[in-house]
Amino acid sequence: MPSLITAENLSYEYPNGFKALKNVSFNVQPGEFLVVIGLSGSGKSTLMRTLNRLLEPTSGTLTFNGTNVTHIEGDALRMHRRKIGMIFQHFNLIKRHSVLRNTLYGALGQLSSAQSLLGKFSPQLSEKALQRLDIVGIREKADQRADSLSGGQQQRVAIARALMQDPMLLLADEPVASLDPATSHSVMKYLERINKEFGTTVVCNLHFLSLVRQYATRVIALKAGEIVFEGQPADITEQWFKEIYGDDATEVEIR
Amino acid sequence: MKRHLLRLAIDVFFGAYIATIIDRVVIPRVVFDNVISVFDLPHQAFVIALALILGVLGSVSSASVGRLILDGSVCGAWQRAVAMNVAWLGLTLTLLAGWVITGISPSALFNGQGLEGAGRIFKALFTPNADIIGAALLAMVETIYLAFMATAIAVPFSFALSFFAARNLMDHGAIPRAVYVAIRFVTNFTRSIEPLIWAIIFSVWVGIGPFAGMLALVVHTISSLTKQYSEQIEDVDTGPMEAISATGASRTQIVWFSVVPQCVIPFLSFTIYRWDINVRMATVIGLVGGGGIGTMLIQYQGLAQWREVGTIVILIALVVWIMDVISARIREALK
Repeated sequence: MPSLITAENLSYEYPNGFKALKNVSFNVQPGEFLVVIGLSGSGKSTLMRTLNRLLEPTSGTLTFNGTNVTHIEGDALRMHRRKIGMIFQHFNLIKRHSVLRNTLYGALGQLSSAQSLLGKFSPQLSEKALQRLDIVGIREKADQRADSLSGGQQQRVAIARALMQDPMLLLADEPVASLDPATSHSVMKYLERINKEFGTTVVCNLHFLSLVRQYATRVIALKAGEIVFEGQPADITEQWFKEIYGDDATEVEIR
Repeated sequence: MKRHLLRLAIDVFFGAYIATIIDRVVIPRVVFDNVISVFDLPHQAFVIALALILGVLGSVSSASVGRLILDGSVCGAWQRAVAMNVAWLGLTLTLLAGWVITGISPSALFNGQGLEGAGRIFKALFTPNADIIGAALLAMVETIYLAFMATAIAVPFSFALSFFAARNLMDHGAIPRAVYVAIRFVTNFTRSIEPLIWAIIFSVWVGIGPFAGMLALVVHTISSLTKQYSEQIEDVDTGPMEAISATGASRTQIVWFSVVPQCVIPFLSFTIYRWDINVRMATVIGLVGGGGIGTMLIQYQGLAQWREVGTIVILIALVVWIMDVISARIREALK
């Protein structure tokens, strides 16, 4: 089966000269639940943002679904982003707007500016948004303000927003880093369900190895912008753990 | 190297500045009594010489005011003493020159005849003439409307401009950056001209009256609000912007759906505060013919009808105070 993503020698250097990614090469197969681990500052978030081209790689090649997307811009870039949903550590909802509206904003990429600026979304779109909220079990909150929800609920709204894109790929940048353990599992379970039931490919950054072992089908570890490990979750031994996180690190369980 | 040049510039400036104050203010106006001399060759030579002396001294030794200011300290005992003394001399001479130029005169402040005149005016001010309250209220209403219209007309312009004056939205290429710089420059320039000056310009343009005053306020309000709005835009949380970008939204959609919702309330708050400021400014603009209560005030003042002036002043104070309280309440409720 052809890869969904092929990254060859991908590098990214920030304008201030910091090299966040150094010659990173890897593939993502359709249907995978790929987890990226590594210390803060190891380049995980940067990697995510090059995949949906919020960032443009400094060098290397990025192929998505058979198309070279490394340096696309304009409409082609919008089309590319449309196919990839993304959720964030801090949810990034529009706080003052309703849950339903926040979900609808996932469809902005499919609407022309003129259509959407009036703020009128078609009944079909609203119906679709409610159905996406149903998937993450939060339909009854549709009319509430986003910031009246708990962290876990907000993250579920963010997932619903991403699902509005009918994404081929779902990027999750530290989706549970600001949630408590119980809520973390609930959010991870929704991601797992979307991966298994809809076959949506997931690329997810995580901190906790126990979560990695439970949800990942494959793991990549980044250290100072380079891939230092690639394999199955079960292969992350004590030795690899020290290699990735440094000698002083000890593993913390999250149940 | 750059620091070195800056230090030299400060030293030379101090030399020239001290010499100029001594030559132009202290000697003619303090030592002699108002004997103004021509600023001819010997005087010029004195200024240049002191500039050179301090410049050279600062270059060859560390006795430098520039070093003192930039580094906070100077090494070497005598060098330190020289630098400190020059700095103190500069400060003392500035205060002295300021005193002389301002014409500060305690004897004028406590002059018997003057006190009597002031007392007469104060007495009149505090025995307001109630007969003109009706007319004064009408003029006050005119001023409030004038301020309101100026704000209302300026808001759409400021709103539109502010997005092009926000650095974080205009950093994607040379043309946007040029637009950003141009808008910032124009708004900073128009804002640095007092509304009073604009009122004079517009009263020549469209004739004396409320319209001229309103136009003056419009200009000032557009540039002030554009600045405040755009600074608010630069302050927004970038997370939602990123999230909306990630859906494949266009630049316009990103701004409309992630920046604007974060700014609406602060914008509203700035706008109400600006209206409040504009009421006060409209009063002052009235003094130069911008209409409303200010114009009425200056007319009675011209006739030395102090009781009527007192009525108007009390009314203005009252309205400004009420506006202040109301606008503070609304802004508090908006938080």
